[in-house]
Amino acid sequence: MTVVDTGLAAEFAAIYAYSEATVHLDGEPRELAESLESEHRDRRDALLDYYDAHGLESTPAEPGYSLERVTEADEVEALLLDVETRVATTWRAGLASDDPDEREICLNMYTDSAKALARWKIAIGQSYADPWPGRPV
Amino acid sequence: MFTTRRGLLVGAAILAAAGCTETPAQIITPNADLTAALRTARSLARASESLGYSDIANDHSAHVETIEKILLPNVLPQEDAEGADPSDPAALADAETAGSTEAAESCLATDTDYALLLGEIAACRAAHAAVLA
Repeated sequence: MTVVDTGLAAEFAAIYAYSEATVHLDGEPRELAESLESEHRDRRDALLDYYDAHGLESTPAEPGYSLERVTEADEVEALLLDVETRVATTWRAGLASDDPDEREICLNMYTDSAKALARWKIAIGQSYADPWPGRPV
Repeated sequence: MFTTRRGLLVGAAILAAAGCTETPAQIITPNADLTAALRTARSLARASESLGYSDIANDHSAHVETIEKILLPNVLPQEDAEGADPSDPAALADAETAGSTEAAESCLATDTDYALLLGEIAACRAAHAAVLA
């Protein structure tokens, strides 16, 4: 499994989480969550184009994902924060790739993930500052 | 003392190894990518602090601290600011974007183990630009 495979799997899981959880949000957080879900779908599509362009075969999404049951807004906010953090962590790992194409797409995805993470933190009232986005603690 | 050619060569090697030469010892080769990232991080830290974005300034200061540790003993000395610092959030966002692009290009071009660090710095600066925009 390559770092791009792992990243694509993270994007599939993020899309699933957003599609299940966003409905429990209202107002600005909901609008942003819908926007971020759309961005994950765009990234998934860009990744599938990458596979096609390089003659690679992608692993399809799982039929479902194990997700903690959330219904309250604060639970959803925490869940989506965890999702965005995990996605950023996954793409960050790809920066160490020796393959130039892999490193480039991982950097692009990681940068977008860091932006999404910062925006979501602001939406839920947290500080967006983080010198090392997605770095495991 | 060095009466033979072999003796002369051995003697020269001993003197060089002992540091008895006119050329100062260079322990670590300066890394151009990290030096550029350090210069930009210092500039962005100063600019964001002056505009009241302490959180952002702290991020850049963390980058400065880390890069300085890596570059020892070849840390770039503090320099006077070149040109005017960004005067409003939009200008700071532009500077963050430019700094992100610089670090991203270094991340993709480097063949060192610093790709991860440079990529983190690029992503952090891009996130700053996104929230300032």
